[in-house]
Amino acid sequence: MSFPKPIATTRSATGIPTGRLAIWWVLASEVVIFGGLLGSYVMHRLGHPEWADAAVHTNTWIGAFNTFVLLTSSLTAVLAHEAAHDGDGKQAAKYLMMTIGGALTFLLVKSVEWGIEISHGYTITANGFWAFYYTAAGLHAAHVIAGAVIMAFIARDAWRGRELQRVELIGIYWHFVDVVWIFLFPLLYIAK
Amino acid sequence: MEEKHDTRAFVRYYRKIYFLLLILLVVSVAGPFVEIVWVTLITAFGIALVKANLVVQNFMHLKWEQRLIRWMLMASVVLMALFVAGVAPDIMEHEGQLWVNQAAIAAVERGIDGEQAGGDGAGEAEADVEPAEPAEPTEFSVQAAFNVACALCHGQAGDGTGPAGAALDPPPADFTDPAFWEMRDEERIFTAIRDGAAAVGGSPLMVPWRNSYSDEQIRELAEHVIGFRPEG
Repeated sequence: MSFPKPIATTRSATGIPTGRLAIWWVLASEVVIFGGLLGSYVMHRLGHPEWADAAVHTNTWIGAFNTFVLLTSSLTAVLAHEAAHDGDGKQAAKYLMMTIGGALTFLLVKSVEWGIEISHGYTITANGFWAFYYTAAGLHAAHVIAGAVIMAFIARDAWRGRELQRVELIGIYWHFVDVVWIFLFPLLYIAK
Repeated sequence: MEEKHDTRAFVRYYRKIYFLLLILLVVSVAGPFVEIVWVTLITAFGIALVKANLVVQNFMHLKWEQRLIRWMLMASVVLMALFVAGVAPDIMEHEGQLWVNQAAIAAVERGIDGEQAGGDGAGEAEADVEPAEPAEPTEFSVQAAFNVACALCHGQAGDGTGPAGAALDPPPADFTDPAFWEMRDEERIFTAIRDGAAAVGGSPLMVPWRNSYSDEQIRELAEHVIGFRPEG
C-alpha cells in the first residue's frame, strides 16, 4: 500500500488493538441477530408440539459430520493464528487454506443435504419448522461463505508476510461461526 | 499478549481442547439413543453450552482478553434475553385474556402429517392445499369473537367503556345509547365491522375485520351488537 494507514488503525484507547475491538463489536451484534432468530425458533417450537413430526426428517448424521468439519476448521484457524503469532506467514497461510477447505466441505455437504430434503418436498414454505430450518441454517451458511472469501484474501497477504494480525481477527470470526453451529446442531438435528 | 510465548505448549493445548470438543460431540449424538428425555436435553443443550464456552474461552482467547470485551458480549446476551422474555408469552401461549391466536391453534390441531404424507414429492402439492381451511378447527363463537374484536374498546357491556377505548378520540360508540341508534341499522353495523368505521363515515380508529372473520361471522357479530340496542 502506498498511502498511509488511517489513524484509527494504529490508535487504541482501550489497550485492545483496534481491529480486534472491531471484530468483537461485529460479533456482539451477531449475538443479537442469531440469538433473536434462534430464540424465536425455540419459542415457536415450544408452542408447536406438532413441529416434532417435521423435525424427525432432519438427518442427525449429516449434522454431526458437519459439526465435526467445523470443529476441525476451528482448530486449523487457531493454529494459523499461532503461526502468525510466531511471524511464520507461510505456515499461517497454509492453515488458513485448510480452514477454507473445511468451509467448502461444510457447504458441499449442506447443499447435498438440502437438495435431498427439497426433492422430498420439505421446502422453506412447507411449514413453520422448515421455514426456520432453512432461514437459520441459510443465514449461518452465508456467514460461512463470507468467512471463507475474506480468509482467502488474508491468506494471500499472510503468505507474503503482510498484515499478519488479521489472521487472528478472521480466526475470532470463524470460531464464532463455529459456535453458532454448535447451537444449531442440537436445535435442528438432535431435538426430535 | 503473554510475556513469553511458548508456541509448542499452545499448540498442544489447542489440540487438547479440540479432542475434548470431539468427545463432547460424540456424547451429544449418543444422548438420544438412551431414549430418556432429560438425558437428551442435557446431552444436547447442556453440552452445546459447554462446547461453545470451550471455543469462546480458548480458541477466541476470551479468557486472556480484556474485561471490556466480556461486558460488550454480556450486554448483547442480556438484550437478546430481554427480547425473548418479552415476546415469549405471546408466542408460546395461543390464548390470552383478551386475545386468541386462531391460526396457531389451527396449526397445532391440523398437525404436520396432512401436509407431508410420505414425503416422497407428493407432499408439496398437499402442502399448498391444506392451509386453505384454517378457520374451521376452532368453532366460531359470537361471544368469543365479540370479546376479541369489539370489547377491548366498546366494553363487555357494549357501553363504550372498554379498557383500550378510554384513550381514543373520538371515543368508541356506546351501543346502549338510544341516540346512537337513531341513524343506524344492521346493514350499516355490518359494513362498519367488515370494512372499518371509516367506510360508513365513522372513526378511522375502528379497523376493518374482513380478514379475520367471514361475512357470515360478521353478520352474527352485527346481530350481537344490535342486541345492545335499548328497547323503544
